[in-house]
Amino acid sequence: MKKVQFKSTYSQYFFLAPQLLILLIFLYWPIIQTFKDAFTMQDAFGFSSQFAGFDNFLFIFSDPSYLTAFKFTIMYSFIITLITGSIGLLLAVQANKVMHGKNVYKTLLIWPYAIAPAVVGVMANYFFSERYGLLHHLFNNLWGFNWYEDVFDAYIYVIIAGSWKQISANFIFFLAGLQAIQKTVIEASIIDCKSNIRRFWTITFPLLMPTTFFLIIINITYAFFDTFGIIDTTTIGAPGSETKTLVYKAYIDGFKGLDLGSAGAQSIMMMLIVLVITIFQFRYIEGKIHYN
Amino acid sequence: MKKLVSILVLLVSFTFTSNSYSKTEIHWWYGNSGFLGDVIIEIANRFNDSQDEYMVIPTGKGSYEDNMAATIAAFRAGDQPHYSQVYDAGAAIMVAQVKNGVVIGFEEMADKYGISVDADNYIPGIKNFYADEDGKMIGVPFNSSTCLMYANMDILNEVGIEEVPKTYEEFEGMAQKIADAGYIPLLQSHSPWIWTENFFSRHNLLMTDGNNGYDAVPTKTLFAETDAFVMHWSKVKEWYEKGWYGYKGRAWGDNQAPFTNGEAAFWFGSAASFGGMKGVLPNFTTNPIPYWDSVTGGKEYPTFIGGAANWILNGHTEEEYKGLAKFIEFMGSPEMDLYYHNMTGYAAVTKGGIELAETINFYRTSPYHKAVGDQLGLEGSTIPGGYRAGNWPQIREVIYENVEPMLNGDISVEKALGNMDKGSAKLLKQFAKTL
Repeated sequence: MKKVQFKSTYSQYFFLAPQLLILLIFLYWPIIQTFKDAFTMQDAFGFSSQFAGFDNFLFIFSDPSYLTAFKFTIMYSFIITLITGSIGLLLAVQANKVMHGKNVYKTLLIWPYAIAPAVVGVMANYFFSERYGLLHHLFNNLWGFNWYEDVFDAYIYVIIAGSWKQISANFIFFLAGLQAIQKTVIEASIIDCKSNIRRFWTITFPLLMPTTFFLIIINITYAFFDTFGIIDTTTIGAPGSETKTLVYKAYIDGFKGLDLGSAGAQSIMMMLIVLVITIFQFRYIEGKIHYN
Repeated sequence: MKKLVSILVLLVSFTFTSNSYSKTEIHWWYGNSGFLGDVIIEIANRFNDSQDEYMVIPTGKGSYEDNMAATIAAFRAGDQPHYSQVYDAGAAIMVAQVKNGVVIGFEEMADKYGISVDADNYIPGIKNFYADEDGKMIGVPFNSSTCLMYANMDILNEVGIEEVPKTYEEFEGMAQKIADAGYIPLLQSHSPWIWTENFFSRHNLLMTDGNNGYDAVPTKTLFAETDAFVMHWSKVKEWYEKGWYGYKGRAWGDNQAPFTNGEAAFWFGSAASFGGMKGVLPNFTTNPIPYWDSVTGGKEYPTFIGGAANWILNGHTEEEYKGLAKFIEFMGSPEMDLYYHNMTGYAAVTKGGIELAETINFYRTSPYHKAVGDQLGLEGSTIPGGYRAGNWPQIREVIYENVEPMLNGDISVEKALGNMDKGSAKLLKQFAKTL
């Protein structure tokens, strides 16, 4: 085999330069800046900036509302992943069976995916408004719903608001996954097994594993980062700090509180969390998945 | 070719006719929106129409917090406006920035560029709130409010109450009557501002050590160790359980809405809140916020100034500052002060404005506007007219975080106030390190 080799001139650097420049300016510079913020103590305007060691990290870990946000974020991403994944899968399986008007179903179910999280939050706001909210009235008649005060009720609020749009994302990927499964495999399985449900769990679902794995990562990152707009337009972290995600907490401390040191330290913690989750998933879960 | 020529002619004529290019531009950033934002634009327009040399360009940046964050980011990028509106909770940060050359104090500006409006022309309470430790006024007072009690007189008439309560004791005497008639007796829109900061000022009590931060950098808040404050929140919790007080979350509007819709008898909000109520709620009054008779022994004390001031930022040309000085002079004139007071309900901040209001008998035709001046103008306080505590926006967050579990019974009042003190002490310590 002939080795392809470009003649070494400086032209390749020239062509790479725009890309590298963009990466440097928009990716590496902010990251370096974040590290700098996390390890310094500075006033809002950036004068009197001094090295603080791990003070900012100690500060956030001694802050009870940071620990609450930590726990909430883990729980929130777990529940969102579970809910959106299972409902998305259910809808995809059902939509895949439909013979007539398939495209209409598909389009309608995909639509919510195009809506920005902040807009979803504003819509949820209407549904959960004490004055004219349909869901508020429904839940209130069932058990006396009050998300201003009750932590459990606030969870329900942000979980419904956060899941709704992401169900569409799950739906579209599961549907694509289902359609990629070879007809012959399905047909062969029909001969071997009568039970629809058993066939699904033993043949279809294992073949969907790559999609599921992909969606778990997507859903977790969504719940971690993209739900910011939803929290900001629904509960703003109340009651207490029970519905603050880590991103929202970093925003409040950094932008509203103007404490860049603490916000920087929180950003680095988030980076570490995402790193750990990703390593864990690729190490222990992906090994059990068989790609075709 | 003909086309090209006509386009050129058009372009050239544009350059000559639009005189905005020849004027010195002064950028003013603000953190009000809606109607209040419109009034700010109107003020700038009036100034621009009044002379030909300078042009003030107002830019809304969202909320107070947004504007402050935007101003700081702009300063760090070397692209700051000349004039920026920063709110009460950010005053400590702005005053501290004079020594770093970020902010130019009003008095320095007045000396250098000859502003005919004197610092002493602003009413003392407001002047002192935005002054440094030597009493030199730094921020230029602008929209100055305080918390007031709004009362729905139709509800009070219906249940047979003739006078609005002056004290919380009087409120307790009438609350059950109102609740029995199917109304919410009391709502309020801002627990940290109304029932924390201004609880202390209204009762002449110190909120932090270091004389509210005026004598020394504060290290702790005095929430749990102030018996009156513990008593107050215990009462509030009791009211909440009895249905005398309704909590509708942290959003300002969610707490105001039931009152505006005629479902609540009393609501505590800002002096500038009545704009949206006029024409919606037929019969309401603005009144001073109640106090505990048992705490002050029948005496009334003024509350802190709320709202915001405008701050002069460093780093611009002589010519531009001359224009800004003209603009500050313009805004400090009695006519503009009264105009703003009348339009928004914010207090008149200059002595000239107040005198003018009196000469034209302003309060006879506009009774809503009177309470704010009455409450801020009270005398006899022995505590400073404000607080100098850094990281205050986050401390407000800590207060909110503990009010909610306190009201729903997850933690006791003592525990909640203790938590607030603990959280605040940490934030104050953090701020002290940046000084």
